[in-house]
Amino acid sequence: MTPCNRAPAIENAAQYIEGTLSQSDSERFEDHYWNCPACLAYLQALEAVGDELARKPVPQIAPAPRKRAFAWPAPAWALGAVAALAVLAVIGTRTLGPHPEKPSQAQSAPAVLPQGTPSTQTAGSSPVQHAAAQLADLALPVFATPNLRGAGLEAHFEQGMTAYARGDCQGALAALSKVPAHDKNERKAEFYSALCRLHEGDFSSAEAGLRKVVDAGESLQLESALYYLAQIDLARNDPAGAHRYLARTISLQGDLEKQARLQDQKVLALDKMSGGTLGKDGK
Amino acid sequence: MDGDHNEKGVSSAAQAASEDTRLALAIGSGDPEAEREFVLRYLPRVRAMLRARLRNSDLAADLVQDVMIESICALRRGQLRDASKLTPFVLAIARNILYSHFSDASRRPESLESPDDLPDLRSVSEDVEVEQRRILAMNAIAQLDPNDKIILHLTLVEGLKPGMIAERLGLSSDVVRQRKVRATRRVAEFVADRSQNVPSLDLTAGRTP
Repeated sequence: MTPCNRAPAIENAAQYIEGTLSQSDSERFEDHYWNCPACLAYLQALEAVGDELARKPVPQIAPAPRKRAFAWPAPAWALGAVAALAVLAVIGTRTLGPHPEKPSQAQSAPAVLPQGTPSTQTAGSSPVQHAAAQLADLALPVFATPNLRGAGLEAHFEQGMTAYARGDCQGALAALSKVPAHDKNERKAEFYSALCRLHEGDFSSAEAGLRKVVDAGESLQLESALYYLAQIDLARNDPAGAHRYLARTISLQGDLEKQARLQDQKVLALDKMSGGTLGKDGK
Repeated sequence: MDGDHNEKGVSSAAQAASEDTRLALAIGSGDPEAEREFVLRYLPRVRAMLRARLRNSDLAADLVQDVMIESICALRRGQLRDASKLTPFVLAIARNILYSHFSDASRRPESLESPDDLPDLRSVSEDVEVEQRRILAMNAIAQLDPNDKIILHLTLVEGLKPGMIAERLGLSSDVVRQRKVRATRRVAEFVADRSQNVPSLDLTAGRTP
């Protein structure tokens, strides 16, 4: 038994107790947590939470008005300051300091760094546009390998994600391309393949893959797919496209909401510096 | 690093198998202390499984008793041929009883004949661990955003799907799903992390003799 990072429980426990996990997946999860104290503890915790919620029903509050995707949290003078700082910081580090290897958000512990870099400044592009490209966060998210006993993962998917975790995007792409259609990990394979293509600098293929994930509808990868589509647009110096995807990311109110909101503020600030109209009239 | 993990994994699996063997043989030879140890080790697993599968605490409690009684009686009779396979053996009994219940749900279940000298299952099932977990769960819930609390309630208690919850709360189903995943993980990790730090909570695969 290798030490378990609880990934099987995180992935399966909620569906298991909701009764929406298939019988075969339920049995596979049982085979695992009967031998895994960490996952058993997670499952017991979730059951205890359900019991406690049932014991003290939560008052049903009236639906809150939906947040405006781009409600400014700060007054106008602060916006100006943010805009000026963002532009100065980006342009300043570009011209005065050493070339930054990664945008600031890449500090969130990516497993590997991308080879694809944002568009370099060309004769025709303005410093503001170039600054937008430098905002792109192209760091690959970390993948926690589930540790299920009993062949929980389809073999090619497992092989691909093991390569991905090592930072071997070529190996990951080769294996993930063999994940059978209609496998339960098909969408995940599509998502991580797209990220590998992004890493390789193939923005068009990455974009096509991420769009497929988005078009497939509700999934655990939806929020991340929208976020990375925004990053591709940023890397291409397309703040308007990035703004649209960031707005959709923010509207999901998920784990990337704060990160996307901060980035979008910078995008809008840069746009304002160049006399753009993003964020006005719901754009 | 991988080599270390593999070695540790192999030794840990070997240790678990050896624990299984010792416990199964001790129960077969009529050791009452081994039966109590068996209950301590397997009752939490059986209970977690049946509560999740049945979504009915009272019914689960009845079937948990059946699984424990049937397992102990089978072990006393020496029905486990490979003593190192104790965990799969108990899991199989739990599944048999569960699936029999599903297939015979319309019939009144026959109660198992229970020997008089079984270890006390009730005292274990109501021990301090459950109460500690309950308090931790209460604290975890108290820290949730009100909307997340409602989403978890509608999901875990009322069994509603994200689409229906979304309609009720005036949110999109994508938002509900994201918030549900985030809130679920947050509360479960809060409780699980602190439960594992409670010294009296024995969640390991087995106790050393």
